[in-house]
Amino acid sequence: MWERTLQDLIRGLRANKQDEAKFVAQAIDEIRNEIKSKDMELKAGAVMKLTYLDMLGYDMTWASFHVVEVMSSSKMHLKSVGYLGAVQSFNEETDVLMLTTNLLKKDFTSRPDDVAVSLNGFSHIVTFDLARDLAPDVIKLLSHSRPQIRKRAVAALYKVFTKYPEVIGSAMSRIRERLEDPDAGVVAATVNVLCELARHNPTEYLPLAPQLFHLLTTSTNNWMLIKIVKLFGHLTPHEPRLVKKLQPQITELISTTPAISLLYECVRTCITGGVLQGSSGNTLARTCVSKLATFLEDEDQNLKYIALMAMVRIVPSHPHLVADYQDMILSSVDDQDISIRMRALDLVSAMANISNLQAIVQQLLSHLVKNETGLLPSAIQSLSQHTVPQSPTSKRSATSPSQNPAYRLILSQRILSLCSDNTYENVDDFEWYLSVLVDLTYVASVDIGSQIRDQLVDVTVRVRGARRFAVSLMVKLLCDDTFLSNAGEPGSCSEVLWAAAWICGEYCGELAEPQKLLNYLLQPQVLTLEPETIAVYLQAALKIFGVWTAELAEQWDNDDLPKAKGMVDTIVERLGEFASNPDIEVQERAASMLQLFTFMRADLNSFRPKANYAGYDDLGSTSFQDTSQEPSFPKSLFLIQPLSSTYELNTVASNAQEMVPVPEGLDLEAWIVSPPRDEPTGVFEEADGDEIEPVVKKKVKKGKRKETGEVKVKSNKKKRAHVPTYEDDTLHAEAEEIIETEEERATRERMKAERLERQKDDPFYLTDDRSSRKPAQPDIDSIPIVRLDDLPSLSQAVDSHLPTLRSANVGSSRQVFVIDKVGEMPEGATAQLSKAQIARETSPSIRNGAATTSSTHTPSPSPFPPYEVEDEPSRTGTPPPIKVTRAKKKTKPSGTGKKKRTATVETPSATLDS
Amino acid sequence: MIHAVLIFNTSGVPRLAKFYTPLQQSVQNLAQKIFSLVSSRPVTLCNFLDAPELESFLNQKDADGEKLRVVYRNYATLYFVFVVDAAESELGILDLIQVFVESLDRAFENVCELDLVFHFDEVHHILSEIIQGGIVLETNVEEIDHAVQTAAKARKESFASANPLSLGGGGVGSRGTGLQTPLGWLTGRLTGVGIR
Repeated sequence: MWERTLQDLIRGLRANKQDEAKFVAQAIDEIRNEIKSKDMELKAGAVMKLTYLDMLGYDMTWASFHVVEVMSSSKMHLKSVGYLGAVQSFNEETDVLMLTTNLLKKDFTSRPDDVAVSLNGFSHIVTFDLARDLAPDVIKLLSHSRPQIRKRAVAALYKVFTKYPEVIGSAMSRIRERLEDPDAGVVAATVNVLCELARHNPTEYLPLAPQLFHLLTTSTNNWMLIKIVKLFGHLTPHEPRLVKKLQPQITELISTTPAISLLYECVRTCITGGVLQGSSGNTLARTCVSKLATFLEDEDQNLKYIALMAMVRIVPSHPHLVADYQDMILSSVDDQDISIRMRALDLVSAMANISNLQAIVQQLLSHLVKNETGLLPSAIQSLSQHTVPQSPTSKRSATSPSQNPAYRLILSQRILSLCSDNTYENVDDFEWYLSVLVDLTYVASVDIGSQIRDQLVDVTVRVRGARRFAVSLMVKLLCDDTFLSNAGEPGSCSEVLWAAAWICGEYCGELAEPQKLLNYLLQPQVLTLEPETIAVYLQAALKIFGVWTAELAEQWDNDDLPKAKGMVDTIVERLGEFASNPDIEVQERAASMLQLFTFMRADLNSFRPKANYAGYDDLGSTSFQDTSQEPSFPKSLFLIQPLSSTYELNTVASNAQEMVPVPEGLDLEAWIVSPPRDEPTGVFEEADGDEIEPVVKKKVKKGKRKETGEVKVKSNKKKRAHVPTYEDDTLHAEAEEIIETEEERATRERMKAERLERQKDDPFYLTDDRSSRKPAQPDIDSIPIVRLDDLPSLSQAVDSHLPTLRSANVGSSRQVFVIDKVGEMPEGATAQLSKAQIARETSPSIRNGAATTSSTHTPSPSPFPPYEVEDEPSRTGTPPPIKVTRAKKKTKPSGTGKKKRTATVETPSATLDS
Repeated sequence: MIHAVLIFNTSGVPRLAKFYTPLQQSVQNLAQKIFSLVSSRPVTLCNFLDAPELESFLNQKDADGEKLRVVYRNYATLYFVFVVDAAESELGILDLIQVFVESLDRAFENVCELDLVFHFDEVHHILSEIIQGGIVLETNVEEIDHAVQTAAKARKESFASANPLSLGGGGVGSRGTGLQTPLGWLTGRLTGVGIR
């Protein structure tokens, strides 16, 4: 009988601050009992307490049915509690909402107080269903005798419109009547609603203009005037004649109103509504800007903020007017209030053009730099900042917003977007921009490295004239030991090293002594970087080495031999560490490089220098066609260079993909094999195109493989019992499998056999080509089985570590198989190339590395012409010093090796050769 | 349109949380975030919160692609925070906060934080006279005060008719003694079910 009231609950909460959770748990237990009570007062009390707890973050959705019960009480003081609980806790998904339709219908026709409460509740909880069912009732209330109710009905109708727009048409005339309501409050509420509606669909509301204009001239309610002016801001772009009519009225308001909020709104409407166009508009614009400029200088920070916001809007049409206040605006970027800084930043970005960009960016950069000096105190401040919630009195005042990491991030992003806008429209000096990027790398100390990286790569690829400078900058970055050692720290922007390595690798022709950089690229410290960066380091090292040896070979001197040997030895030694990297990408690249270099080492060691004689002056890049003529230098020096430098990397136009013609007779939409409908999960498509296997089954297989051989045999035998048809073959395959564990192909064939058996059993699997499969079965016998005893140490290590993962090998072997198939079909290869193009076009950064890798490997599959250096297709003429190559204008995609090889069909790359 | 109205004190304890549109964030998260940003701003700064940290919280954009804005005002130990979209005038909302506070002051006579604590339902009722479903209903303090009084009277009468034995507005009885508030603070105003 001594139920806790809300007051008791609140007092209890205040008394039990240490143990709030326990106290609340107890209170909620009580509430659970009370809320089931038959006594409506008690129930309502419980709902009230729950509503309070809801505000503190405790769930009350479980009680929604009881809330509806309280809502349905006929007593006003209980009903209002119910509606409050509903307003606070219901959402679109609340299932009991459908129970409220009739309740609301009834309340709408009840006493005025009930109507007010229910209308208020209705506008919060309204859903599509409620809106549809109750719209007529709400519309009826628009002509209620009390202005209170009319006002609420108008506002509630807006919510109905948002959920159920179909009703707008029929209700609009009734809403319009409310604009002439005798009660000023109703008119104001109606204007509010119209303002919201007109934002989304202005043309529908143009007929209201005369009425609104009348209100504009007669009303003195500032709040409503603001809304009307806003409303006209939405309407004028759709009705030019309004501008003429409005201009004098707005000019008058601007010059006479004492309310700054209204003044600002007028200025804003002038701007957004296009009132500033034309000659008379220009004078108005001048008035606006000068008014805003006075705001800028005002003591009141709010006005400053507002002025900056308005100026952002005026810049696009009247940049010269705002430019007069450039200094003032730039100084606002230094304001200690972060809100103002953010607005100023927006404004500054809008103002940027080719002539002031450098000044602006320099100013923004200086913000980031300044903090470097104050780094230490800021750390202390940031620590003390954490304690602020406990001691609100110790407000931070000294901390400048530019120490705020989120702000620094925005600032850095802004610098990048300022410069890169519209494909570097405002940048006229790319060497400057590249320096800015490098500076930013050093001072940003926020996580913006990946964006800088993308910019660096993009600029260097697009702007031919800046490449040399870019390479020189990147070399410095790569040689910066401190930067490398700090790379692991947050905000170090270590991703930039990715770009540095890539640029140095791709454009290593600019390097005077490329071999010196190799030491930096392969130093052990590099292993601390992110794997994808290491991978690019390796690739870059390979490219640089290739260029260096090629140069060496061209001016061969037998004294160079020890130098070359020494370098290869160092690289082989260094690569060992990379080859054992846990990351698969790094490991693979390092391992393949290791093989290349081991081969080179063997070649260099077996090289017997001949007597130097003249006659090799004509050693072009294509001098090895004649194999009978032995060159005077180790042939392997030309092993690597052609891998990466045969084709130039270009930016790809965004529409390049569409330009690739589909070869005749190729239907991309056709199913290779129509998918079986009954497969429960996602399916794999085999490359040879006639088998589809559910993923689930594969997993089961994996699990089995992990068990011992005994179990394996058992399970297989079980299967055999089911399917005696291919008994011999299966057994055979099993035997092979157990003995020749390394034979991947055999395993794969066996898998196929097993799968076929399963599928045969499976009544849901439609095998239409079983007859064609049958002759394939005996082939298992004829598969040559080779035991690979001397696998490279690398894979052995993996094997010994995870011997049970062999079934994964099956998967991988299957994928290799896919690639082989593709290699045989030229059409397929073209498709493959297109994929690479998409990748490069969407993100020139990471995918670039992959793309170059693939192009690097393309020439290698056939072992016969490795020494052949193909004739470089003549490049486009000597470039102008600095020039932005816009991707849009190029209609050709980049011609990579693969493309040229396969694209005997007419593809856009043909233009590259011309 | 107004998307949310929050009141919290200088320690970050919520005193009122009203959301007119569903937010992806939980109420507590948003309130905490706004509080941590607002409370660290010196009073001399402007009343618009435009913090980069907030953008992920308010990433919900309105039809014009404009961000939600946070307008706040500090009164003694309380922060009044309005989250609004581009359809509202920033300075207008500042005035509206003033109107809200004045209405509270009229209803509670020298309103203080404790009033809001113990009468959070009443605060909701007052707010509902100013804003309904995110639409501003009334900006005139007189009108608001009148409407608040009328509604309160209706609730009081309803309560009285349902509890004929209770005296006046609501006898707190022997259970009200623990209140650390001035005498007469509760009389005549308590109309809710809380008091039995």
